[in-house]
Amino acid sequence: MNHSLLDEHALASPLRHKNNRLKLGLVGAALLVGVSSPSPVAPLFIALSMSFAAIRLGKVPARFYAGLVAAPLGFAALGAAIIFFFFGSGPEIFSLELFGLRIGASADGAEMAVLVVSRTLSGMSCLLFLALSTPMVELFALLKALRLPDSFVELSMMIYRYIFVLLEVVVRMRDAQAMRLGYDGFKNSIQSISMMAGTLFIRTMEQGERLFTAMDARCYDGRLFLFEERRPVKVQELLVASGYVAFISALAYFSRGTAIF
Amino acid sequence: MEGFLPHPWWEIWYALSLPVVVYGIYTMNRLVKERRETLPLLALAGAFIFVLSSLKLPSVTGSCSHPTGAGMGAILFGPAITAVLCLIVLVYQALFLAHGGITTLGANVFSMGIAGPAVAYIVYKGCAKSNLNFYASIFLAVSLADIATYLVTSLQLALAFPSATGGVLGSFYAFGTVFAFTQFPLAVLEGVFIALIFKYVIQVKGEVMVKLKVIDEKKLRRLKGVVQA
Repeated sequence: MNHSLLDEHALASPLRHKNNRLKLGLVGAALLVGVSSPSPVAPLFIALSMSFAAIRLGKVPARFYAGLVAAPLGFAALGAAIIFFFFGSGPEIFSLELFGLRIGASADGAEMAVLVVSRTLSGMSCLLFLALSTPMVELFALLKALRLPDSFVELSMMIYRYIFVLLEVVVRMRDAQAMRLGYDGFKNSIQSISMMAGTLFIRTMEQGERLFTAMDARCYDGRLFLFEERRPVKVQELLVASGYVAFISALAYFSRGTAIF
Repeated sequence: MEGFLPHPWWEIWYALSLPVVVYGIYTMNRLVKERRETLPLLALAGAFIFVLSSLKLPSVTGSCSHPTGAGMGAILFGPAITAVLCLIVLVYQALFLAHGGITTLGANVFSMGIAGPAVAYIVYKGCAKSNLNFYASIFLAVSLADIATYLVTSLQLALAFPSATGGVLGSFYAFGTVFAFTQFPLAVLEGVFIALIFKYVIQVKGEVMVKLKVIDEKKLRRLKGVVQA
């Protein structure tokens, strides 16, 4: 279990003290522009600028950031490979023989594959920017302000709290089992991990009952009141953010005909 | 994967998932009004699903694989509430682990939080009627839920990126075959994993399952007898 949860980085980020709505708005707009851009130019620009912002302004270690991007990119590459070979028509630019089957890729397919990978990159970098600069605790007040049902927000908050509690239990049990050679070999591993999860489940249910008693004793009636810190947006920040959004929208619009192949 | 699904597909999957999630929240609200102690319990269950899905299962091929945990949720709480829990868990996965994403959230909720749990629930209820062994039915429910999730995901990708020659069906086969290599072993593995969890829980503290109305007293005694023999 690695404790590289992004939330910890968000808590330490200097960008944490910026206005949350502004950050959310910026990321939302960039996400939408990235996913709807018809050419890979704008998404690639968003990916670069968002990564730059996260590493430079957010002080995220570059190596750690690269690791975060690499993992999902593998999946995206796999999907893009399929699109490369099966999507679209047009002049064939590449073909190969596989198990006696001839597979060809067209220019359209290649174009689409590049576009999909660039969109994934841009989406990932936007998401990472938000995740690495805004701790979840700060988003709850925002969720309430968005008028989501109370029970839903309460549930999210409690789940958030208990993820960390349970993770700690998991790490402790896992270490204890590993020390007793519980993860030696495939069969043992399956046994151990199931036993651990089973115990975790029982712990979970007991904890749930205790939590209810504790909250009941403090007159919980289905609503926790949250304190949202006021962080006024500076004019300059607002200008930069809207300038950025305007720029990427324009970039997406004017580069719409760009083709590589 | 963030940004993977193009317009209009990500909006379509959002639109398809929304009514189910709203219905789930409605069911949950009713349940919480009736018995107030359920909210903390559901919260813990959600956290459990998150932790379960972040565990790395040992895998035959040496690579790592993640269980989804949604099948277990469906057996314990029913599919509607599981959809809500899955939605929250998927948002956290996006924000904590950079798994999945916000634009693809609708599609992911549909495949993992709605299709999978629905299949798990139907299979589990069906098996309960046909008097199949309790653990075998859990294995079946969870494995088939995983396979349903994987098929729906392939279908989502195929609809968004139809193949030039074979259309949607052609690219459905292509996506399906590529993912099958990892998803089939994973489905079997998760089935075994969840069934073993149930076995341990019933052996050690079967009352929990009775309280959650997964099984009744009579069945618990019988299961304990079977396990100890």
